[in-house]
Amino acid sequence: MDQTLQDLIYKFEDNDDFFLQRDFFADRPVYLLGLKSLIDMARSRTFIHQYLDQAISNNTALSDGALMQMLGEVRGTNLQDISSSVYDGKFIIYFEHVQQYVVAEPVPNLLSRLFDTPTNENVLQGTLSSFVEDIDHNIGIARKQFSSESLRVKSFSVGQNQQKRIALLFAEGHVDMALVEQIIGQFETYIDHDINHIQDLSRTLGLSPWGSIAKFKTTEMPQEAAHSLKTGKVVIFVDRLPFALVLPNLLWDMFCLDNDHNYSLPLMIVLRSLRIVGVLITLIVPALYVALVAVNPEVLRIEIALTVAQSREGVPYPALVEIILILLILELIMEASVRLPRSIGPTITMVGGIILGEATVAAKLVSNLLIIILAATTIANSTVVGFQNSLSIRLFKYLLLLLAAVYGVLGILAGVVIICAYVASLNTFGVPYISITRMKERGNHG
Amino acid sequence: MDKSHYVMLMYLIMHLGLIFFMYPENIIASTDAVHWIAIVSGLAVQFIFIAIYMKGLNFFPGKDIIAIYGSAGLGVSLVFLVPIVLYFLMINIITVRAYSEIISIVFLANTPLWAIMILLMLVSTYIAAKGVETIFRTGLLLGLLFLPMILLIFLASFQNVDWNYVFPLYENDFTFWTRPTFYQSFFAFAGSFLFLGFVRTHFPYKDNKVYLTVLSLVPFFIFSVYVPVLTFGQNTASTLHFPYVVVIDTLQINWLIFDRITMFFLFTLITFIMLFTSLILWMTSRIVSCCKPSIKQMYYTQGLAVVIYILCLLVPDWKKVETLFTWNAPLRFYCLIAIPLSVYYLGLRSRRKMRHEHA
Repeated sequence: MDQTLQDLIYKFEDNDDFFLQRDFFADRPVYLLGLKSLIDMARSRTFIHQYLDQAISNNTALSDGALMQMLGEVRGTNLQDISSSVYDGKFIIYFEHVQQYVVAEPVPNLLSRLFDTPTNENVLQGTLSSFVEDIDHNIGIARKQFSSESLRVKSFSVGQNQQKRIALLFAEGHVDMALVEQIIGQFETYIDHDINHIQDLSRTLGLSPWGSIAKFKTTEMPQEAAHSLKTGKVVIFVDRLPFALVLPNLLWDMFCLDNDHNYSLPLMIVLRSLRIVGVLITLIVPALYVALVAVNPEVLRIEIALTVAQSREGVPYPALVEIILILLILELIMEASVRLPRSIGPTITMVGGIILGEATVAAKLVSNLLIIILAATTIANSTVVGFQNSLSIRLFKYLLLLLAAVYGVLGILAGVVIICAYVASLNTFGVPYISITRMKERGNHG
Repeated sequence: MDKSHYVMLMYLIMHLGLIFFMYPENIIASTDAVHWIAIVSGLAVQFIFIAIYMKGLNFFPGKDIIAIYGSAGLGVSLVFLVPIVLYFLMINIITVRAYSEIISIVFLANTPLWAIMILLMLVSTYIAAKGVETIFRTGLLLGLLFLPMILLIFLASFQNVDWNYVFPLYENDFTFWTRPTFYQSFFAFAGSFLFLGFVRTHFPYKDNKVYLTVLSLVPFFIFSVYVPVLTFGQNTASTLHFPYVVVIDTLQINWLIFDRITMFFLFTLITFIMLFTSLILWMTSRIVSCCKPSIKQMYYTQGLAVVIYILCLLVPDWKKVETLFTWNAPLRFYCLIAIPLSVYYLGLRSRRKMRHEHA
């Protein structure tokens, strides 16, 4: 046995899923190495034997070199190289007589989810395929959806402790190449940073992790990714993250779904306007309740003012406290329903709904008008496209709520101005957040 | 890349915020009838000077007004830029103080004045500190959100008009030129066009679009005066403070859940005023930061905001605000007349110099 082989065995000594087996390929003695957990060893061996039998029946004599070339990539005896291929899930064949290693593609164990429907996004009458954990599958789905010659794929292997594969996709001719070069530059500069989640990716790309609005659009749907490629955006895949990260995220993406184009034009316009109205309702209505009840009651018509006052009869604390209490309970319910297992979840949410709906109102802890308003707000919040965007809107409504409690309707409008100013000041790699479609609007900011 | 729409929208927003408050009162006080002559004369003066200003700016493509004055020498810069800085500071103080007073009187009687002023100043400083591109983009967003509402309310304000008050349509009475209230009415538009010289580098615009915007504001000027006159008549309208706001107060819209829509109208205009204040603050800090460019402009903005706030706190009541108005008048006319003329003259001079060099 040669030195490198012994070093390899020593290196993988603590891994019980490492296998080393002797075999004969076309009468040559070989050693087969690999990780049992990543490779379906039995089938790989069977395939290779069948392949070789067929090859031998066609040509009577095969040289060592030709045999090795047929099986895979011939590598030297670099220990680091071979061991990283083992960790990658490759099948190593060591030819004893010539002392060469061949790195072959095995039949892998099925470790990734098969293609599935999107779990976090829904479409009506649209494509139901979704991205999965394996990065090669994702690139394949993207190529199928955006079947154009201009699609380019650039891969990086980042990280020091673990090597994570990142793929960058862009459509040449549609995208602004300066943007692509900036992103590639960032990846190459920070190639040693581990990337496990989106905050890591933001750090590598030089984006601030403190922004309240997501810099990436995360989508599970291939048609969204394809549409983004066509409009000149860049798609990033991270191995084991089952979604595409589209850069840069724009304001209009919050209201726009590519699936809208599957409906007729008036319907599309109405649906998009509905989403815009939903965002405005989420932001303004809770704050408006506090403003009109606590600070500026004289604005309402006398009949409605009386109704509101009547609904608040017996409620022991000011409107702001009431609304924050119920909003807190709603947020807790939303967060809890993500954690609960599927069997218990519906029961708990039903109990929560009954408690909120009936009991708190009957006990005069909150007014029933408030429950209606907050239910409408929660529903309106979910009309926004993109879960991260709806979280951002959920956050902003608290700002407006606080301002409304102090300044009334003036506070609401001041809050709207602040949010507009914040949104207007955002930019990713020079592209301002509020540009509509064309991304050629890169400017300097001073 | 033509970004005229940003500039047009910003111009529109800035002026809408200013027109509906004090302009009608001043014009109604300047003349007893045929207000349109006073309005059109004032607007014509403004139009002429905007035209001169833009023609002057066109001689210096890609340069903003600070660079233009800077290239003509330090003395020239001081003579023209210092009054601009003073004028802008005064405008900010007057605007913030006056509008806070209006808000306090009409709606938030229980909120102390300093609290309202701090809200206005904080929001404006926040926007101004982020830079001019943010200001204009915020203008775009606010315009999209609020302009439809303003237009609707404007159209609804015609609910109680009696067109008979329009007559007489013409009188040969030009005495308004002698009344000081006429010159006070220039507050609504003098000096606010100066921003055109500051943003050329960031937002290249076409001159025709600016002229178009100026002309499209004329109906708003005219009707902001005529709607109160037509609703109440000259004699009643001349006794009112903020006649246009009183007209909005009288509107009855049955299908809305609100009793009066004055609040939404006022507060929407206040958001436009916040944007106006932030742009003026940004321009002031831009000029001041040229003295010592090593400190970041953001710190100048914040410092100036603190100064303006403290000075606002020192103004005790409405009488003092009106006094400040009168003090500001000479600076206003200096900026209205001298700045465009000087820019034009410098432009002609530089063109003659270039011709000499070529020849």
